[in-house]
Amino acid sequence: MSDNEILLEVKDLHTSFFTQAGEVKAVNGVSFYLRRGEILGIAGESGSGKSVTMLSVLKLLGRSGKITSGEIIFKGRDLTKLNKREIEDIRGKSISMIFQDPMTSLNPVLSVGYQLREALRRHKIEGDHKKLSIDILERVGVVPAETRLKQYPHEFSGGQRQRIMIAMAMICKPDLLIADEPTTALDVTVQAQILDLMKELQRNFSTSIILITHDLGVIAGSCDRVMIMYGGHSIEQGTRQDIFYKTAHPYTTGLLKSVPDPDNINNARLIPIEGQPPDLINPPKGCPFALRCPDVMRVCVENLPPEKFLSDTHKASCWLLHKNGGDKN
Amino acid sequence: MNVLEINNLKKYFETSAGVVHSVDGVSFNISKGETLGLVGESGCGKTTTGRTIIKLYEPTGGQIIFNGVDITGMTQKEMLPVRKKMQMIFQDPYASLNPRMTIGDIVIEPMIIHKIPKEQHRDRMINLLRRVGLNSEHANRYPHEFSGGQRQRVGIARALAVEPEFIICDEPISALDVSIQAQVVNMLEDLQKDLGLTYLFIAHDLSMVRHISSRVAVMYLGEIVELAESSELYKNPKHPYTRSLLSSIPIPDPDKSDERKIIPLSGEIPSPLNPPKGCKFSTRCPIFKSDCKNIKPVLKNIGNEHFCACPFV
Ligand SMILES: Nc1ncnc2c1ncn2[C@@H]1O[C@H](COP(=O)(O)OP(=O)(O)OP(=O)(O)O)[C@@H](O)[C@H]1O
Ligand SMILES: Nc1ncnc2c1ncn2[C@@H]1O[C@H](COP(=O)(O)OP(=O)(O)OP(=O)(O)O)[C@@H](O)[C@H]1O
Ligand SMILES: [Mg+2]
Ligand SMILES: [Mg+2]
Repeated sequence: MSDNEILLEVKDLHTSFFTQAGEVKAVNGVSFYLRRGEILGIAGESGSGKSVTMLSVLKLLGRSGKITSGEIIFKGRDLTKLNKREIEDIRGKSISMIFQDPMTSLNPVLSVGYQLREALRRHKIEGDHKKLSIDILERVGVVPAETRLKQYPHEFSGGQRQRIMIAMAMICKPDLLIADEPTTALDVTVQAQILDLMKELQRNFSTSIILITHDLGVIAGSCDRVMIMYGGHSIEQGTRQDIFYKTAHPYTTGLLKSVPDPDNINNARLIPIEGQPPDLINPPKGCPFALRCPDVMRVCVENLPPEKFLSDTHKASCWLLHKNGGDKN
Repeated sequence: MNVLEINNLKKYFETSAGVVHSVDGVSFNISKGETLGLVGESGCGKTTTGRTIIKLYEPTGGQIIFNGVDITGMTQKEMLPVRKKMQMIFQDPYASLNPRMTIGDIVIEPMIIHKIPKEQHRDRMINLLRRVGLNSEHANRYPHEFSGGQRQRVGIARALAVEPEFIICDEPISALDVSIQAQVVNMLEDLQKDLGLTYLFIAHDLSMVRHISSRVAVMYLGEIVELAESSELYKNPKHPYTRSLLSSIPIPDPDKSDERKIIPLSGEIPSPLNPPKGCKFSTRCPIFKSDCKNIKPVLKNIGNEHFCACPFV
């Protein structure tokens, strides 16, 4: 695979949960791509579908969740068409995921070394498993690795457990690492170390990374490209420069404005986005952000805005970007 | 005038593993109408400090002076009138509201505890709900029908129910969405202005603390290592721990983020069961000198009411 090659392409993904209260349309037509060696950040409102989009890629949607339409092309194959066995082969080997809470994915009664070797065994990786385990622990800075391998998850601090999670996710040298809020529970000093570590692994193994985070600072510091989600939709995508300096969607603008400006601190009042996020059981007919949007027009409430390309790298879904607010291109 | 003054406050917990030195000699004061921010790594003792001040925990040592009165030795009964003036907003808007009570009853409950005449309850409750951006129709609903941001508003309305002067805000926005955090912070600031409130504001988000606080105290392993006026502290941090902490704050601006240099911290936060001798930060300090293991640093005014507990800066 060459460096510029597209590793993952998600096309018009729709994912729903079928619950007693009705169909929850968690992901509503999301499309994006990821190149090899690239870091894509996903940010957006809580409940906007960031986790469900990535869980769809791995088909970890539980019993009530279902991909209702769309394609997920990974290294040329459509993952939505694969059976359970084929997906299990990919999971943990070519694509691995780090979940928000490290304790949910580490088994408390097995030593760290056992769990690392188990991943290697499961995916039939050749070589000296003990040596590979020591190597990866050293790489993530959990030392002395040889002793650490014998320890159990509860014997580590939160930051160390997160490093071990990264080691587990990286030991089979996946093509794609999905990290869902990997640093949210950590202190800023530890967070900085973990993000650095992920970037180093990405450089050394040219792993592609999808980083879900609510922290715009993390996005600005670590990601090549960014997808902003709202109400089950991707509402803006671009390079981090596009998103931060050529912001196109009013939700993105609102999000960037609602954090304190480090250059204009104190007395300056924060600028919040008023209102509450939409209900996904009865999603609004038009733009999901319309009810909170300061620039709302009539067309916004009635019709979903199509994606508009603003440059090769930058696209957004907002009627303001369309001439006359109705012209479809 | 100081609303709160704490001197050498200590809170130790006896556990099966040994004595945890959660708060280990903390002193500061907060004057009327001011917001003091309290920051530091997880487990450094921020929540314990707040809970000890309001005497949800009995202090192990030191002194708490509220409005000029020493409340350190007061019994829970003697504390009742003090609690009316001193309230706490909790971190988790999901766990801190009783799921079986309506929003209205949640806000009225402290009025009952503090024996506010019954005929005032309903009007006061409705006024409070309006004050925090909810309305009278919300009064008959239950917490699970509300979003995190709305629940935090209810928690704030409850804290305001008995007209406190001083509120300890323990991570009031951590559980909220970015776009909702600004709503709640603005509301806290408006209330402060309108009602002359004084805040102790505990938070992880160092940019938000900077925004809302007049002064900021930085805590490490149960002690305050630096305290200064907010813009002074962020512009001119002195203590090596503060410097590292502030250098690690993610900056929501790609170009600035690429330019900055993070000062990494080595090692792990030591166990509060067995804190290092001398300077507690010595095991991780980038400017460590051999003396640091022997000398216990004290918080010293280094000019401009900027206090720092490191003799080497
Ligand atoms: N198992 C499930 N059953 C029903 N609804 C679900 C389930 N999992 C997720 N949802 C719903 O799908 C929507 C999208 O959820 P998702 O977890 O992707 O949000 P998110 O963007 O990751 O939010 P956060 O930032 O809070 O993690 C939400 O409305 C959520 O309530
Ligand atoms: N009831 C208790 N019994 C024993 N130890 C306790 C108790 N409460 C807190 N501690 C310990 O005291 C120390 C300080 O805890 P505290 O909750 O005050 O930290 P914090 O600074 O608020 O952290 P965070 O940012 O994670 O909320 C920790 O080591 C904690 O484990
Ligand atoms: Mg999520
Ligand atoms: Mg706490």
